[in-house]
Amino acid sequence: MERRSFMKAGLGAGAALALPGCRQLDHLGIPITIHQPGMAAGHALRDGAPLPSTVREIRTGVAILGSGIAGLTAGWRLAKEGVDDFLLVEGPELFGNAAGGRIDSPSGALAYPCGAHYLPLPSLESSAVREILFEQGVIEADPSGERPRFSEAALVHAPDERLFFNGSWHDGLLPTEHVSAAEAVQHRRFLDEVAALTQRRGSDGRRLFCVPRVLSSADPAWRRLDATPFRDWLVASGYTSPSLHTYLDYVCRDEYGAGSAQVSAWAGLHYFAGRGGQAANAPDGALLTWPDGLAPLARGLAARIPAARRMAGQALHVTEDRHGVSILCRDAAGPLLIRARRAICAMPLHVAARIVPHIRDFGFDPAAHLPAQASWLVANFLLDGFPPEPADAPLAWDNVIHGSQGLGWVVATHQLIRAARPAHTVFTAYRALAERTPAEARRWLAGARADELLALAGADLHQAYGKLELWRRTLAVVITVRGHAMATPTPGSLANPGLAALREADGRLLFAHSDLSGYSVFEEAVWWGDRAARQVA
Amino acid sequence: MSDATTKPAVPDRLLILSVFVVASCGLAYELIAGALSSYLLGDSVLQFSSIIGCYLFAMGVGSHLSKYVDDRDVLARFIDIELLVGLIGGLSATVLFLLFAWMSAPFRTVLYALVFALGVLVGMEIPLVMRVLHNKQARFSELVSRVLTFDYLGALAVSLLFPLVLAPKLGLSRTGFLFGMVNAAVALWTLRHYAADIPNVRARLTRGILVMTFLAGGLVMSEQLTRWAERGLYGDEVIFATTTPYQRLVLTRWKDDTRLHINGNLQFSSRDEHRYHEALVHPALQSMPWARSVLVLGGGDGLAVREILRHANVEHVTLVDLDPAMTGLFTRNSELARLNGGSLRNPRVTVLNADAGQWLDEHADVFDLIVADFPDPSNFGLGKLYSVPIYRLMARHLSDNGALVVQSTSPWFAPRSFWCIDATLREAGFHTHPYHAYVPSFGEWGFNLATRRPGYTPPTAYSIPTRFLDGETTRLMFRFPPDMKPLPVEANHLNNQRLVHYFEQDWGNVVR
Repeated sequence: MERRSFMKAGLGAGAALALPGCRQLDHLGIPITIHQPGMAAGHALRDGAPLPSTVREIRTGVAILGSGIAGLTAGWRLAKEGVDDFLLVEGPELFGNAAGGRIDSPSGALAYPCGAHYLPLPSLESSAVREILFEQGVIEADPSGERPRFSEAALVHAPDERLFFNGSWHDGLLPTEHVSAAEAVQHRRFLDEVAALTQRRGSDGRRLFCVPRVLSSADPAWRRLDATPFRDWLVASGYTSPSLHTYLDYVCRDEYGAGSAQVSAWAGLHYFAGRGGQAANAPDGALLTWPDGLAPLARGLAARIPAARRMAGQALHVTEDRHGVSILCRDAAGPLLIRARRAICAMPLHVAARIVPHIRDFGFDPAAHLPAQASWLVANFLLDGFPPEPADAPLAWDNVIHGSQGLGWVVATHQLIRAARPAHTVFTAYRALAERTPAEARRWLAGARADELLALAGADLHQAYGKLELWRRTLAVVITVRGHAMATPTPGSLANPGLAALREADGRLLFAHSDLSGYSVFEEAVWWGDRAARQVA
Repeated sequence: MSDATTKPAVPDRLLILSVFVVASCGLAYELIAGALSSYLLGDSVLQFSSIIGCYLFAMGVGSHLSKYVDDRDVLARFIDIELLVGLIGGLSATVLFLLFAWMSAPFRTVLYALVFALGVLVGMEIPLVMRVLHNKQARFSELVSRVLTFDYLGALAVSLLFPLVLAPKLGLSRTGFLFGMVNAAVALWTLRHYAADIPNVRARLTRGILVMTFLAGGLVMSEQLTRWAERGLYGDEVIFATTTPYQRLVLTRWKDDTRLHINGNLQFSSRDEHRYHEALVHPALQSMPWARSVLVLGGGDGLAVREILRHANVEHVTLVDLDPAMTGLFTRNSELARLNGGSLRNPRVTVLNADAGQWLDEHADVFDLIVADFPDPSNFGLGKLYSVPIYRLMARHLSDNGALVVQSTSPWFAPRSFWCIDATLREAGFHTHPYHAYVPSFGEWGFNLATRRPGYTPPTAYSIPTRFLDGETTRLMFRFPPDMKPLPVEANHLNNQRLVHYFEQDWGNVVR
């Protein structure tokens, strides 16, 4: 189908236009949708927009503020425990970083991720994650065992990843060919070292690196790694291989949104040694994914929360008194006051800092304790057919360009089982703005034109396929801009006393968000959501 | 300025017209080479760029060489060059097409050699014409302006005619011959007009007429030549060819043998397809006299359905094939419908055009027999159709006593692939009964009969008419001689796609 007739049919725009906070424009004949979830609502809070006065008032036992993975997990747990007196306020973006979208293509709707797109095999300690996966059929057997059996449909299908290095595509993400023998020795040594760390325990008997992070060993000998940037630690440990450094910088940007010079050595090692999840039917290090990233897991959680316990709307102001928590909200009908006995604040901390004026009373000073936050672009390219690929290195699920500022792209149709290649596909390109400081990155994003965002998000695809080929195939682009995408574990974040204080909160107001762990992954969000629900249940 | 008074202001109109024609032909050959290589090799930007580059460079070489032509020979050389350009350029498209059909290796070499040779010759044309005109006392400024004007006008004319009229209406081969004849016509015309200035007029005239006749013959015969070329590709005469969004279907015939090729791979030969389809269907259905419903995945040619319909107990056959062009062809074309006995029009048959993977996922219908007749697992996409999850999914579409038959590649040429499919079915919880049959046009071919319950025994006789199968043949089909013994291989899981690797290794080892 010609792009022109496709656009005339208005298919590309249909899905995206329904979303709030969208800008729709056209660049060289390609319709581009810019989606900035939560930005308008968040900036209104930041700018001190006057609070509405209320007439409507409702009461509930527990209010859950936020529908990201932490909030959903809290709601799911409460529902599962038989609690029926709670209300989940969804906030400005349903499913948060686990959100997905659908776009109409001439051959049918295609699902794509707007945020996180994969989940590693969960560690033994991530028991709630395993429970969720078992409930949703992703774990087929032995959910609490050493090696559960996972649904093959969700394990990343082969070929899983490839790297563009030295002018051609290679299997895996760490270069093995075209590197000197000395570099190869360092690669081996590094992988052996982190493999050994995976099972190693500290003086307190806990694993040195664990997901959830809060269960990691407090052994001061290892906690010292929190004070050093990862790159400095690598150099001090004799890791000088340029290709290893490039790879690890990529890993840090991919996981934390900041480079190896910005994140702590503890976080850099935690990426490799923290999970250690295993499967009966997949090798260690296998990943789980879905066409729309983690959205199916979020939908599965939401489906177990009765519709009457969920409410579209957003919290504006949270206060406590001796009776409970008062939450001033806004929903479609206007302002609303929710009076709850207890509340779980399941939103990012930079938002919580605006909504909960007394957050300092918990020991959390936003000015000092708010984690650094990375900015991301998630760009979905709806393509007519697939660009040509070399015969010896077919398109993989994850495709990364060595040394690029981009994080490569994943193929949203990779997990489909089809007799023929789909006539249309979606490539999801990820880009963390790690080359700028977080504040600069957000300033740039606020002023960036659509074509600038497109150029940045599409740089890897341009490099791999050529601008002409990409332009020829692209029917539409949806760019999700996440200015405050995730907390970054910079040096010192492990010891952040403000985060520790919020984790310890045990009063009427509880906090649940992956920010409490200082970095943003599904397992941490589940951990805090589950814990908060158990505290109030 | 003194020149202006002695030389005529307007150069010879005839030669100026020939510049227009010559320029048109020159660009035409360039466009033909570019279009043909894009068509055959793909990547049109690369093909056009490299051919234009090579051609322009060669023209520069030709311009340079033109200075070595003696002033007295200029007209004679111009005529010789015209004839040579006509001959080479006229034949270029057909030669390249035939060459590609028979041997692909030297194609690029010949392509660029032809483009270079044509470029050199065309590059000599204009300098020679200018010298002819100059010798005929045209004023230089006027001469350059006129010659180049007509040169570029000729280019414009062809650049518009070629994509809009010539390529679509005449095709590349005939367009080539046509322009070759125009070049030869210019040569003959010049020869006649300037006979007095040219040595050996008679010999040149003979050559010119020969070239003209040859090219005219080519123009008339090019259809035939193209057919020869496709016959070179497919071995036999092509009786039907179409490109669908999913595949290229080519039907060939030689005497009474009709063959279907999908994307260049042989799908069946009408001479021995009964062996393949009897073996695919009857060992299962003969042992299931209670079977009422059958699902066929792939197999849009309706040949497996033809065999299934021989069993009167089967009340309903559902055929799920991706390509409506394929099922449409085998429904509507009377000759092909004769091959499948009109099976796709049979009231007991429902034809669905859908992707088998998606259809299985989205429907819940239950069948007594499923026939999975997918293309070989030659890439990661197709490999998924032979994986543990898809077989588990198929099991959910089977009745308790149901069976699944899977086309399983060749146990002789691709033994690891064959036994990997067997292992995959067992991993998915099936009891498997592998077998093989000799299909002359394929070689030794393999199948897997998989049942949800144990206890299958191959039939010892058939209640329906068969051409290939009988009790004894069937008994031997389920026996694997020592050189086709089972191999210890892994099952095919989606996250390792072992089968695709086995298949690559297996066929990599076969010298064909």
